[in-house]
Amino acid sequence: MNWPIRIGSIVLAIVVCFGIQYLATTMLKSDGQRLVALAGLYVTLAVSLNMINGITGQFSIGHAAFYCVGAYIAGFVSLRFFQAQPLQPVLWLVVMMVLGAAAACVAGFVVGLPSLRLRGDYLAIVTLGFGEIIRIVIQNTKELGGAYALDKIPAIREIWLVWLLAIVTIAVSRNLLKTARGLAFLAVREDEVASSAMGVNVTQIKVTAFVLGSAFAGAAGALLAHYETSILPTTFSMDVSFIILTMVVLGGSGSITGSALAAVSLFYLPEYLRSQPPVSGASLAAAVIVIVAVVAVLRRIQHHYHGTVAKKVGLYIGSIVGGVVAKLILGALFGLIPAFAKASYTGDKLRMVIFAGTLIIVMLLRPQGIFAHHEFSWTLIRRLYDKVRGKGAQGAPA
Amino acid sequence: MSKPVVLDLKDATIRFGGLIAVNKVNFNIHEGDLFGLIGPNGAGKTTCFNLITGVYTPTEGDIFFKGNRINGLAPNKIAARGICRTFQNIRLFGSLSVLENVVVGGFLRHRTGLLSALAYLPPAIHETAALRVQAMELLEVLDLADVADVRSRDLPYGKQRRLEIARAMATGPELLLLDEPAAGMNPNEKEDLAETVRLIRDNFGKTILLIEHDMKFVMNLCEKIVVLDHGEEIAQGPPAEIRNNPKVIEAYLGEAV
Repeated sequence: MNWPIRIGSIVLAIVVCFGIQYLATTMLKSDGQRLVALAGLYVTLAVSLNMINGITGQFSIGHAAFYCVGAYIAGFVSLRFFQAQPLQPVLWLVVMMVLGAAAACVAGFVVGLPSLRLRGDYLAIVTLGFGEIIRIVIQNTKELGGAYALDKIPAIREIWLVWLLAIVTIAVSRNLLKTARGLAFLAVREDEVASSAMGVNVTQIKVTAFVLGSAFAGAAGALLAHYETSILPTTFSMDVSFIILTMVVLGGSGSITGSALAAVSLFYLPEYLRSQPPVSGASLAAAVIVIVAVVAVLRRIQHHYHGTVAKKVGLYIGSIVGGVVAKLILGALFGLIPAFAKASYTGDKLRMVIFAGTLIIVMLLRPQGIFAHHEFSWTLIRRLYDKVRGKGAQGAPA
Repeated sequence: MSKPVVLDLKDATIRFGGLIAVNKVNFNIHEGDLFGLIGPNGAGKTTCFNLITGVYTPTEGDIFFKGNRINGLAPNKIAARGICRTFQNIRLFGSLSVLENVVVGGFLRHRTGLLSALAYLPPAIHETAALRVQAMELLEVLDLADVADVRSRDLPYGKQRRLEIARAMATGPELLLLDEPAAGMNPNEKEDLAETVRLIRDNFGKTILLIEHDMKFVMNLCEKIVVLDHGEEIAQGPPAEIRNNPKVIEAYLGEAV
């Protein structure tokens, strides 16, 4: 192993994390800083769910439950013992992360061992149910704040630690895939019967992936508890699980970088839309009509056009540009209709619609997720470039 | 015969409700045998494989591997004992590369722990590298080295079948079960395959049990054959004997013969 490179990248990771913290604290107000921290937590959550759903091929949709377990355990312990302990706040936070991870591990093991014998939909139902059970148990436990918040958790806000956890999660996933042991996880995803015939203990692999994924979610929970200082059972509702799942699916199941990038973009998309000025009914109506038309055209190109890759890409770009022009013209025309011109919609109201719409479009045009099972890397970009430019001439229909 | 018995089926039987898929089948395979299992469609050949590899547990009877009873063990435990198989309806790890498929086959000889893999420590790195080298050697034996980096789903059919064999070989089995290895191959490919199977037996010292529909292929390749029909064993012996056995002819061609 190349130790200098390895130590170099560890140092670089830490420097990047402090850089994020420095930029966030100097350039953003406290709510902006909070978003940076939450984005980091969502990267951890999405990448750790990707270990279960993408790499090992199990369909878990209750990831928020493990996030919740980590947050509540760490919050509860911190609330009781933070004052009495001698550690530095940062060290204490690390201890709490380990505690949150351990608690989520146990929860993951307890849920995983019996339910991972189930497949597909059944596993999804069990994990979904578990998420709800955890939430409702907490809602009815006075000691944990019940339906009110568990608050006055000591505030330890370390953005760099949040992002370091995200980077560690990414690194661990990547390391796993680079070793022979990790291939066994992929093998389980591909074919359970064949894996077990090759001597792979399928149940053990599945439980390992589940416990590992849960552990990172638990550590993220501990960070959340100390950042927000007050946590509610509804912070970990089903929507959160679904948003994490969406990040993984959108990024491309199995792609680590895909999940991470999708996590950041999907997290910031609603926040960005929230800050946008209201749009008129005319332009909204035009946008909906044109987007549907463009998606239909793109699908036709995808499925029925057997030309070179370069020509295909040209057609894509052409139809999108055409769509934008059509949208402008149609919007202006609709503006003449009084009912459309008067109505106005704020980004805040539209963000969930756009969120859902984005998902539908991706599922129609690229059901395997934006990155599919590829990783974002310079080789990928080079390959795409080659494909469009040189080798596209061989014209294999993609 | 002086060679030790590797696999021994004693009255192996499995019922699915009222259907007896395999009924009191007895045969034993000696070390270094090239053994054929034949019979018409639905005769219970693949079910027999599933019994041996632990996919099903026999309802009655026993299966012994090198003297130890193995019925009821999980498939991965049986693979660890030294039995590995290929699948009739190819079951490769489709989105993994050809080489990676074979590396997964080496999982049984995998010793480094999970933590070492997660932290990408030297033991995991070295082991992965070693497994890749071994996998590459196997690919060369099976004439797949040139497509090592191709996604296995994209391979042509005949090569997928060979890859199934390579992957099974990677587990380091003593007994190799091949389920219709020549299905869908053209005559040339079949000839190559027969040679490869013989090579595996002679150079690697494996014992081989294979299911095949192509009579010519089996008769040329195998030294001993068991014939199943409707879950029952109807004949056993060397190819020459089987070829002229009236029961076998009847099972394959109908009563009129």
